[in-house]
Amino acid sequence: MKTTAFLLLCCVSASSVWAEPSKCFESRKGASEVKQRMIGENLPNVKCSPKTGAVLWWGDPFDGTVPMGDMPIADADYNRGKAVVKPRSDKVGLLPLCGETCHTGVLPSGFPVNKNPRQLALMHEAIALDATKLPHGRGAIWCLDCHHPKERNKLIDHRDNPVSFDQPQIMCGKCHGEVYRDWRDGIHGKRIGEWASTGTKRWFVCTECHNPHNVQHGERNRGIADHQPEPAPALPKGIKTADHERRQHGAGRH
Amino acid sequence: MDKLKKFAVDYVTYVVKGSPVFYAWIAFLCLLILGLLYGTFLHATDGLRYTGLTDQVHDGLYLANFVFLVGVAAAAVTIVFPAYVYHHQALHKVAVLGEMLAIAAVVMCMLFIVSHMGRPDRLWHMLPIIGIYNIPHSMLAWDTLVLLGYLILNFVGGFYYLYKKYTGEPLNNKFYLPLIYVSIVWALSIHTVTAFLLNTLPARPMWHHSMMPIRFISTAFSAGPALIILIFLIVRTRTRLWIDNAAIDLLATIVTYCLGLALFLTLSEVVTSLYANTEHAHGLYYLMFGKHGFTDLVPWFWGSVAANIVAFVILLTPHWRKNYRLLALACVLAFSGIWVEKGMGLLVPGFIPTPIGEFTQYFPTTLEILVTLGNWAVGFFILTVLLKGAIGILLGDIRYVATTPEMATSASAGVVTAPESV
Amino acid sequence: MAAPGQVRRKHVTNKEKICNPEGGCTCAGQAPGAAAAENISSRRNFLKSTSMLSLNSLLGTAALMTMSDDAQANTAWAEWFQGNYRLMSDEEKARARARLERRYTREYGKAVTVDGTPPQEGVLMGYALNIKKCIGCRRCAKACVEENNTSRGKDQEIEWIRVLKMEKGEFSQEKMNQGYPEGLGIQVGGNAYSPAGVVMEGEHYYQPKAVPEKDSVYMPIACMQCEKPPCVKVCPVRTTYREADGPVVIDYNWCIGCRMCMSACPYWARRFNWSDPNLPKEAMNPVTHYLGNRPRMKGVVEKCTFCIQRTRKGRYPACVEACPVGARKFGNLLDPNSEVSRIIARKHVFRLKVEQNTFPKFFYFMD
Repeated sequence: MKTTAFLLLCCVSASSVWAEPSKCFESRKGASEVKQRMIGENLPNVKCSPKTGAVLWWGDPFDGTVPMGDMPIADADYNRGKAVVKPRSDKVGLLPLCGETCHTGVLPSGFPVNKNPRQLALMHEAIALDATKLPHGRGAIWCLDCHHPKERNKLIDHRDNPVSFDQPQIMCGKCHGEVYRDWRDGIHGKRIGEWASTGTKRWFVCTECHNPHNVQHGERNRGIADHQPEPAPALPKGIKTADHERRQHGAGRH
Repeated sequence: MDKLKKFAVDYVTYVVKGSPVFYAWIAFLCLLILGLLYGTFLHATDGLRYTGLTDQVHDGLYLANFVFLVGVAAAAVTIVFPAYVYHHQALHKVAVLGEMLAIAAVVMCMLFIVSHMGRPDRLWHMLPIIGIYNIPHSMLAWDTLVLLGYLILNFVGGFYYLYKKYTGEPLNNKFYLPLIYVSIVWALSIHTVTAFLLNTLPARPMWHHSMMPIRFISTAFSAGPALIILIFLIVRTRTRLWIDNAAIDLLATIVTYCLGLALFLTLSEVVTSLYANTEHAHGLYYLMFGKHGFTDLVPWFWGSVAANIVAFVILLTPHWRKNYRLLALACVLAFSGIWVEKGMGLLVPGFIPTPIGEFTQYFPTTLEILVTLGNWAVGFFILTVLLKGAIGILLGDIRYVATTPEMATSASAGVVTAPESV
Repeated sequence: MAAPGQVRRKHVTNKEKICNPEGGCTCAGQAPGAAAAENISSRRNFLKSTSMLSLNSLLGTAALMTMSDDAQANTAWAEWFQGNYRLMSDEEKARARARLERRYTREYGKAVTVDGTPPQEGVLMGYALNIKKCIGCRRCAKACVEENNTSRGKDQEIEWIRVLKMEKGEFSQEKMNQGYPEGLGIQVGGNAYSPAGVVMEGEHYYQPKAVPEKDSVYMPIACMQCEKPPCVKVCPVRTTYREADGPVVIDYNWCIGCRMCMSACPYWARRFNWSDPNLPKEAMNPVTHYLGNRPRMKGVVEKCTFCIQRTRKGRYPACVEACPVGARKFGNLLDPNSEVSRIIARKHVFRLKVEQNTFPKFFYFMD
C-alpha cells in the first residue's frame, strides 16, 4: 500500500516538476512534430526543451519510422537495409487534398500543366505570396520543377516520374548534387540511431530541416530557419551580467 | 630510550608553560583554528560550494597560499646554507630555528592542499602500493614527494640537533652533515617542483615560461628570510636568546639580492609579454590593467609592486638596512608584496581568461578567508611551539639531568653547554 | 507489494532519531507516502554524511557504530575502500557496479543500470563538427545535460559543451587611420581591433531571440578526447585515463578532486562538482555507464566521455542526435566508411590548438 502511495506521489510530483510541452518539434518548428509519451518504464519517447520545445533526446530513435527505400544512384554507398525515415506525407496537412480534390490530373480543367511561372489560386498564399517571384531559385525554377504536374501530392524526378514526399532527397538531389552526395555519405544532414557505418540509422530527409518554399532568411541566408536558442549557461559565481563579453576585443591598444 | 622519553616530557613541559602574552597569543590562534574547523566541516559535508571557486577559476586562495608557503619552507636554506657551507658563526647558532620554520611552513602547505582538495578523504589513493602514485608523469606526485621528504629531513635534522643539544652529547657528523647538505639541495627542489607544477601547463600561457622556477626561488629567498628576520627580531626582544646582528645582516643582504632579482624578473616578464601583447599575454594584462571591465586584481598588483620596490630601496641603502626598525618595515613590505605577487597575483590571472577565452573574476568568500586564516594559525601555532622549545634548548633551559646513577657519567657531560663545533 | 514496504518501514524505525536538514526528523504520524519519501531523502543524507565523515575518522566511526548492521553503511564503506576501476578484476568491477546500481536505484526511486561494457575491438571513436553549419542553438549542450546526469539548477549548473559566438568582423572606411599614430595609422591600422572569425574571445552567454544571428559564427567546444591528453598526464592518482577505444574517462570514485587536470586542459573541457550534484529524480537518466553518466558525487571532476554509455552500445552520442543542422558527426576512425573517416578524407578539417601536442580526436570541418 505504502509503495503504491509513494509511487503515486512520485508520478504526481514528476509530472508537475517536469511540465514540458507535450508536443515537440524534431529539427525545426513547423516540421516533424512529435507527441510526448512513455514507451517503457521510465522511458519517454522524447525529452524536449522546456524553453523552446525542441526535441533534445530520443528514447527510441526509430519510433514511427519506415524503410527509406532505394536511392536512384547505382553506387550509392550506404547501408540500404538499415536506413529508415519518418514518413513526411502525414505531416503535410493538405497533401491528400491537393492530389484528390484540386489537382487530379483532370481537374482543374483548363489549367495549364506547363512550367511557365504564373500566379496561383488563392489557396497557395500561405506558401508563396507571389508565385512569379519564388525565393527558391530566384526565378530560375518554378513550382512544377519540383511538384508533379499531374499528381500534386507527389514530387518529381528528372524523368517526370512521381517521387514520394517521404523521399524528397531524390527530387532535391536533381540540382543539389554535391550536397546530395554528402548527405548520402552521412556528411551533410542529420541522422540518429546507431553510429556504425553498418548500423540502423534514421535519416532526416531534406524537408525535415529545410523549408523548400523559404530557403533564404534575410541576410543570413543559411538555409536554416530561425531557431530560438536554448538558455545561456549559468554565469560564474559573483558575475552578474554578461556585459563584459561585448567590450573591446583583441589584444588591447598598440 | 629513557633519554628520548625524558626529552619529550621535558620539551612539552617547557613549551606549555609561558607568560600571559604567550597564552593570549595561543588563545588567539586557537580562535582562528576554530574558524578553520568550522570551514573544514562545511567543506567536508557540502563540498567546496561555499568558496568563491568556479569552473573558470578553480584554484584560489588555498592553492595561492600553498605556492607561497612552499617558498617560505624552502627559505630555511638561507640560514642553513651560510651556516654549514660558509660556517657563518652567528647563523650557525640559530640554524635550527630555520629548520623549525621549515617544518611549520610545510605543514601549512599540506593543510592548504587538504583544504583545496575536493576529496581529502581519498588522499590514500595517492599512497604507493595501496593506491596509485603517478610517478614520473604527474608533477603533483613529485611535489608531494619532495614536500614530504623535506618535512622529514627538517624534522629529523632539527630534532636530532635539539636532542643532542639537550643531552649534551656531540653530534654525529657522519649522520648529521649529509642530512644538512641533502636538505639544502632538497629545499631548492621543493620550490622548483612547485614551479614546475604550474609552468608545465601550456594550457595556461601565463605560467608557461621557463623563468618560473628561478623567479619562484628568488621570491622565496626574499619573502622567507624576510619572515625569518622578523622572527629573529621578535625573538631578540621577547626572549633571552640573543641573535647576533651579523645573522640578521646577512639575511638582510640575501633578501636584498633576491628581491632585486625578483623585481628584475618581473620586469623581464612584463616586457616579454606585453611588448608583443599576444593572446597569451591576456592574463598578465588583466592582472596589470584589467580587461573587459574586470579590474579587481589591479590594485593588488600595483600595491605589491610598490611594496616590493619600497622594500628594495630600504634594503639597498646600507644606512637604512642597518636600522632595524626600517629593516622590519622593509621585511613586512617584502613579505606581503611577494605574498600578493606569488599567490593571488600569479595564480588567479592564470585562469583568466579561460583556455577558451572566457573572462571572469574570482571573489574569495568569507569562509575561504576564514579557512585560510585558520591554516595560517595552525602554522603559527606549530611555529610558536617549535621555536619556544628550540629556544629553550638553545638557552639551556631544557637539558638532560641524570636521575639514575648509571646514567650519571654521560649526563654529567650533558649539563655542560654543547660544543659549537658542527 | 507488502515486503518492500515493510523493509522500508523497518528502516524508518531504525532511523527514528536521525534528522535531516531538509525535512526535519522522521517521525510517526505522517502520511505514508511522505514518510517513505522522506525516508529515502534521509537515507541519502545519511549516505552523504557517511562518505563525508570517513574523512573525519572519529565521527565516522561513531556513525558506523550506530549503523553497523545497516547495508547502506556497508555500501558507503565498500565504495570508499574500492580500488581504481581500471585495475579491478572483472569480478570486482561487476561487484562495484552492482553496488552502485543498488544505491542509485534506492536514491532515485527507479531501476538504474550501471553498465561496464569494455572497449570494442577495432573501434577508435572520433568526432567531427561542421563549424560552418553550427547555428549556435545550444541544443547539444542541453541534450548533453539530459543524457549525462549533470548537475542543473541555480546552485550548480554544469554543462560539458560550451558554444562560443564570434563575430564575422566589422571594417570601416572611417576607422582607416584612427589607429596609431592617430590620424596616420602607420604602425597600427584603425581596423586592427575588429575581431573577425574564430578568435579566442567569443561570447559565451549570448542570448538573442533567434539564431543564427547576422554576422556571427558559432564554435562549440567540449572535450577533444585527445590521443595525448595532458589531463591524464598530470593526474596524480591516474583516475583519469584514455580508454582503448578513444575516450578519456574518469573513475569518479577514485578522483581526489585536486583539479590539476582542469588546469592542464587547453580546451576547458572539465567541470568540478563543487557540491553534490543537483539531479532531480524525474530527470535522472537511469541508463548509465560506470565511466560515463552515472551520478557523480561532490568533490570530483567530470567531463564528456563521447556518451560512453550510448556509444559502447552502438548509439550516437546525445549531442550528435540533438543537433538540428547535422553539424555533429560521430564514428569509428578505423572504419573508412564511417562518417568521420569520410569527412577527414574529403573535407578540410582542423583540430583545435594542435600546438598543444594533444592530438584531439575531435575534428572541426567545413564544406
